[in-house]
Amino acid sequence: MGDKLTREEVLHVARLARINLTEEEIEKYQFQLKKLLDDVDKIKEVKLDSNDKLIAPVDEKTVCREDEAGEMLEPEEIMKNVPVSNGNFVEVPVMINE
Amino acid sequence: MADYKKTIGIEIHTELKTKTKIFSNSINGYGKTANSNVNVIDLGYPGTLPTLNMEVIRLALKAALLLNCEINKEMHFDRKNYFYPDNPKNYQITQFETPIGVNGYVEIEVNGEKKKIRIHDIHIEEDTCKSIHYKNHSFLDFNRAGVPLVEIVTEADMHSAEEAMAYVEKLRELFLYADISDCKIEEGSMRCDVNISVSKTAELGTRAEIKNIGSISNVGRAIEKEAARQINLLESGREVEFATYRYDEKNDQTIIMRVKEAGNDYRYFPEPDIPYVVIDDELIEEVRSTIPMLASVRREKYIEAGISLLNANKIIQNRTLSNYLNKFLDSGIDLVIASNILLGDISAYLNRTDLELDDTKLTDAKFIDVVNKLSSGDLNSKVFKEILDDVMEKEQSLDEIISSKGIKIISDPTALKKIIEEVLAENTTSVNDYKNGNTRAIKYLMGQIMKQTKGSASPELVNKLLEEELSK
Repeated sequence: MGDKLTREEVLHVARLARINLTEEEIEKYQFQLKKLLDDVDKIKEVKLDSNDKLIAPVDEKTVCREDEAGEMLEPEEIMKNVPVSNGNFVEVPVMINE
Repeated sequence: MADYKKTIGIEIHTELKTKTKIFSNSINGYGKTANSNVNVIDLGYPGTLPTLNMEVIRLALKAALLLNCEINKEMHFDRKNYFYPDNPKNYQITQFETPIGVNGYVEIEVNGEKKKIRIHDIHIEEDTCKSIHYKNHSFLDFNRAGVPLVEIVTEADMHSAEEAMAYVEKLRELFLYADISDCKIEEGSMRCDVNISVSKTAELGTRAEIKNIGSISNVGRAIEKEAARQINLLESGREVEFATYRYDEKNDQTIIMRVKEAGNDYRYFPEPDIPYVVIDDELIEEVRSTIPMLASVRREKYIEAGISLLNANKIIQNRTLSNYLNKFLDSGIDLVIASNILLGDISAYLNRTDLELDDTKLTDAKFIDVVNKLSSGDLNSKVFKEILDDVMEKEQSLDEIISSKGIKIISDPTALKKIIEEVLAENTTSVNDYKNGNTRAIKYLMGQIMKQTKGSASPELVNKLLEEELSK
């Protein structure tokens, strides 16, 4: 295992996060990410009596709402937070390669 | 080529018929102005939290029960993480570990043979926004973002295009009838992804996934095309690549979209913003009681009543008509006649006037009266056509409508026989033609008789009496 991740592992995570890394950063994250994973491994060593999984910070069960409509935003409001809009649409660089 | 076996699994996404979205109270509607059914939750604004729509749980539970699934009585949601503009939160809320239903099945019938298709699971998730691509831009409409979906995943139990189509058709029929979804494939409220591989041995081949097939017949076509493509590859010594394709209808071919990412790149983890959802027996029974008579049961009952398979299917395709007909299943009326006028004159009237049955003045009593009178010959189809508008639009009873129109129906065989004898006596040439084997002559004679009765006799009865008379 060693004390660092491989270069490929770091690049794979970077690709999933859609970020570019410099050579310096790649090297730095090889160590940092490994440290993070090791810390998580330590948590895994805790012995538990039950298999109950805590999925939320509260013990209560979900309370559902009934199927009733509420307020919505006007398209003009939405576009205020949109870098590039086109009419009522949000415009982004092309997502597929035809 | 023939010794390759196809193995097919299907994933179907179906939008649930709710008023509002799954985690926000903005409207779930199709065909509205872009980005008009949207609120801060659908856009993933920082600080917003999802609130689960109870109707989504009810409808998904209904679907899971219809698919004969075991229900996960304590379930939660999971985050599926990916960066893509169709989902600004950068994760989709779905169910990964605890789908609402598991280990179910659907029964299909192909060429008279029944077969169970196992359901691996049915899980709930949110839809992403809709994107339209043009040149080097994509345009996003978040009206669809957060629309509730169920995804139904089969085991790889199908082995032909026919089985796959029968499965999709069956699922569509189930969900339509139980009012779970509109199931409009062309509007995207039902979307099919097909996984297919071919192999000569018991070991499965590498599969390809064909995404978002736009119609049930295209499911069949895409499977045939993709299987042929894979067999060609294997026969020429090459390998099938594990990849995602789409079906191009115009050119009838499958086109590669992307080589698949591994599942664990999605880094699923439990959604911490939505605590456990509990489904108790009371809710299960409540939801079970809302399941209406299914299409397959209706079909059996209609065929038992003597309705042809073709007409039975036509009625089942129109749930309003089918529900209407069901009211009379035990009334003792002639259901064949009832189905004929529902599919014929009454459907034509509804189409012409753009009305629903509920909007008309056709009461149950009037409908029974019409069917019984058509059955006894006290009303004939020609007169029914004439008075149809009044039957549908006036408060009057059938008898009142008939007498107010001055229509007299001759259903007395003795009176009819007299007219028939007169007509035959006046048309000896045609009678002789008929007796000499020119069977078409009977049509002319029928016409003459109907003319004499001014169309007030039942054609069926006249035909019967005329044939009796001529065979003397």
